[in-house]
Amino acid sequence: MNDRIVTELLESFPKLLMPALSATIPLTVLSFTIGLLIALLTALVQIAKIPVLRRLARFYIWIIRCTPMIVQLFVVYFGFPSIGIRLPSFPAAVLVFSLSVGAYCSETIRAAIESVPPGQMDAAYCSGFTFRQAMFHIVIPQACSTAFPPLSNSLIGLVKDTSLAYSVALVEVLATAQRIAARTYDYLWLYLEAALVYLIICSLLTVLQRMAEKYLERRR
Amino acid sequence: MLELRHVKKAFGDLQVIRDISLKVEQGDVVALLGPSGSGKTTLLRCAGYLNHADSGTVTLEGETFDLHTISKKDVVRYRRKIGFVFQNFNLFGNRTALQNVTAGLTIARKMDRKEAEEIGLEALKKVGMLDRKDYYPSKLSGGQQQRVAIARAIAPNPNVIFFDEPTSALDPELTGEVLNVMNALARDGTTMIVVTHEIEFARRVANRVVLIEDGLVVEENDSETFFAYPRQQRTINFLRDTKWKPEGETISEEGII
Repeated sequence: MNDRIVTELLESFPKLLMPALSATIPLTVLSFTIGLLIALLTALVQIAKIPVLRRLARFYIWIIRCTPMIVQLFVVYFGFPSIGIRLPSFPAAVLVFSLSVGAYCSETIRAAIESVPPGQMDAAYCSGFTFRQAMFHIVIPQACSTAFPPLSNSLIGLVKDTSLAYSVALVEVLATAQRIAARTYDYLWLYLEAALVYLIICSLLTVLQRMAEKYLERRR
Repeated sequence: MLELRHVKKAFGDLQVIRDISLKVEQGDVVALLGPSGSGKTTLLRCAGYLNHADSGTVTLEGETFDLHTISKKDVVRYRRKIGFVFQNFNLFGNRTALQNVTAGLTIARKMDRKEAEEIGLEALKKVGMLDRKDYYPSKLSGGQQQRVAIARAIAPNPNVIFFDEPTSALDPELTGEVLNVMNALARDGTTMIVVTHEIEFARRVANRVVLIEDGLVVEENDSETFFAYPRQQRTINFLRDTKWKPEGETISEEGII
């Protein structure tokens, strides 16, 4: 590695951090939050066996899980305009990523809720709880510690998946690295640097996950 | 006070409860005995609406509910008048002993937290678990968990408490502490229906005993008569099979001598 590359990497690093802060992180936070809400709702309608909604939930999960995310991005960003829905890059990405998180995490949450022993529900009923009270006060809090590690997996996966938004013209870390490299031809180093940015974010999340798990552990 | 009429329940082809009626008066301690698979636990779970009976009614405090067609609203209302103690304790894993006892008051019955805690502490004191009030269930022994579960059942002051084999999951040396608590409740006049394998408990604490076999009531009597003069051959066989012997007495084909 010569001096020129060192200087260039030092100069480009802040330029890669900027889109991480302005695109990758907001995209992740927003999509994951919306996705979790979708996941919880779709898991609950299945567990409560609500007739029509339950089938809709299964259908949604089937479609999302069985098609590639990049194809979904293309359909929304490049395809939808032909039926009059024009979404800019960022909302299009949020839509696709939220739906994806929702589908995968729905299964995680459903499994976690089903792993809570049925006796907990019986006991809640016999303490006079309604189904909703039993779910929100007794079952879901206990399902959380089971669901936490796989949900963290999904979150970390999402951080990296946001790089797919590059394909729908969103200026995020990878796109920025590519732009700089196109000027300097240092593809190897810039793409490694882009990887480093993801590595840093995901490492931070890993540390947070461990701390949160310890906290959850203490509470039982 | 509580009356079950013509309860029937099948799981698939298996008719677990053929037709059982049962009447419990205020202050009664009714022991439900019977071999495994006789339907006694299912009967109790139907009475608590944890299993959905195929037919039958329950009358509590003069109000009758159809166990098959009861509405969701009535189920909640009915359940708030009963208590249930489970074989596996089923304490809420995410709550401390005290919170287990107060949850039914604050969350289900919307009681003020302070008031609920007073009642909760009183209930824990009754079962001798006051010093463990801030422990999570995972840090308690089986016997301690079951005593907290009993406190949870008595806290809302229900009309009747159902006990489903409350000592079956316990190590033998831990059953005593739970039976003692139940004994104390019985002396206080708590109305209880107890599915149990503890014949001695049934004899000493229960005032009425019901033997259930193959989903039917075989014999029902006050506990003294039940053990001293069993009328049915099946009762005699059951008592013999359990190898139960009152101290200093022997059991023969004619019953207890």
